[in-house]
Amino acid sequence: MDGELLSETFVELTDTMVADFDVIDFLHVLTDRSVQLLDVSAAGLLLADPRGELRVVAASSDAARLLELFQLQSQQGPCLDCFRSGRPVTAADLGAEAPRWPRFAPAARKAGFAAVQALPMRLRDQVIGALNLFRAAPGTFDAADVRVGQALADVATISLLHERSMRRTDALNEQLQTALNSRVIIEQAKGKLAERFGLDMGQAFNLLRDHARARNLRLSDLARSFIDGSEPLASLTASALRQQQIPGAGRAGKQPSPDEPPGP
Amino acid sequence: MAGSRPARIWGLVAAQAVGRDGQVSAADVCAAAVPAVGVTGAWLSAASGEDAGHVMRVTDAVAEQLAELQLTLGEGPSLEASASGGPALASDLGSSDAVGRWPVFAPAACRAGAAAVFVFPLRVGAIQAGVLGLYRARPGPLTDLQFGDALIFADTATLLLLDSQDHAAGSSTAGAGGQPAGLALHRDEIDQATGMLTEQLGTSIADAFVRLRAYAYANDLRLNDVARDIVARRLRMRPDPSPDRDSAP
Repeated sequence: MDGELLSETFVELTDTMVADFDVIDFLHVLTDRSVQLLDVSAAGLLLADPRGELRVVAASSDAARLLELFQLQSQQGPCLDCFRSGRPVTAADLGAEAPRWPRFAPAARKAGFAAVQALPMRLRDQVIGALNLFRAAPGTFDAADVRVGQALADVATISLLHERSMRRTDALNEQLQTALNSRVIIEQAKGKLAERFGLDMGQAFNLLRDHARARNLRLSDLARSFIDGSEPLASLTASALRQQQIPGAGRAGKQPSPDEPPGP
Repeated sequence: MAGSRPARIWGLVAAQAVGRDGQVSAADVCAAAVPAVGVTGAWLSAASGEDAGHVMRVTDAVAEQLAELQLTLGEGPSLEASASGGPALASDLGSSDAVGRWPVFAPAACRAGAAAVFVFPLRVGAIQAGVLGLYRARPGPLTDLQFGDALIFADTATLLLLDSQDHAAGSSTAGAGGQPAGLALHRDEIDQATGMLTEQLGTSIADAFVRLRAYAYANDLRLNDVARDIVARRLRMRPDPSPDRDSAP
């Protein structure tokens, strides 16, 4: 494990008091660093919405996002079990888990994942969500990895709840709802980019994220700028598209033929 | 259970319309929300884009003053909620926090008779339809249950407002005969399809969303299914004012 990156990550996950703190970017740090630090292929994160449901708020890849969504739609899976019980849930071989999760286990394997570990985002009796770690190869999760994963989830949870106790009582509710709306804006922007450049949704997200990083912008701010037209899509240059290894990157703006769905 | 809460809240809103013998509109959300969420009064403003909006409905004189104060002062929770996309919640307008946040609005609101305000933006991602404002004559936060219900009232108002704007434009409407095709919470594909339609139709995100819902309604299809077909590139729409039936071969 990269000790330096681990220390940096703990600092990032406690740095919520900055003026431009953004919940979505913060939770993406949690999923992305989980993949970089731990022996896992992908990570996804669910948070409780006061409307009475869980919502997908961050994922390290589109496959992980879809799988989180699938758990919510099918009302079944390790992240839900973990959220409901407030305890970690593990499956070292999803090939053997059809009895436990008849819909989720085959879907996860079809998406290329063989093992899963779900960790609660919990402070005392309050469970605010769950972090799902997916691995392509079957096998028991390394105990040290699980401890670090839980520590990252704990620090992120405390940071979010700490925010509430330190500032106004209503601040967390405001921020989480803002974050959920930001998630919608990001999906809307992904659709626009996917249609304009003939991408699949995973490629569209990578394009958006890389562009936001390169320009040091919040993901949701850039997404909003693309949708309201204040940031022209033409600012996504051919080279940025090529970085995504997108075939036909040079023909930005050309509509894909409906007969030839692009992407894998 | 999933789904029962929005249905219950829709029932409360629809009952208001029945009570006044009219068609369900966003204004009914105001009156329904007051007893259900446990607040003293409510206001609803419609807005699009950068427009600060006009006050569509108030349940009492204090709510009216709160809505108009903010338009006059250019400060307050409505503007904050519109800008952030999340709610602006102040459970004690007399607190130093609230006064620090809205130095002019907070004392003025207290003088008008409000002690707490909770403003919910009427948003679907980048689509902006207005705000739903709730106030209490006594300070105190919303419970988790009340907060969740208020969010669902706001979702309902958003769809009703977008539908009514569609009416005004003279085209067909989604959900005119009953409950608006709900905003499923797990709806990435609906949002992605809406973004795709802005390109296919060359319209704003709000118009793209209205067209998507109108198409589902006109063809008696579930919104999720239409969105999935668009995302999978099995269905395209053309920039044409009538509901589209054109799809990929």
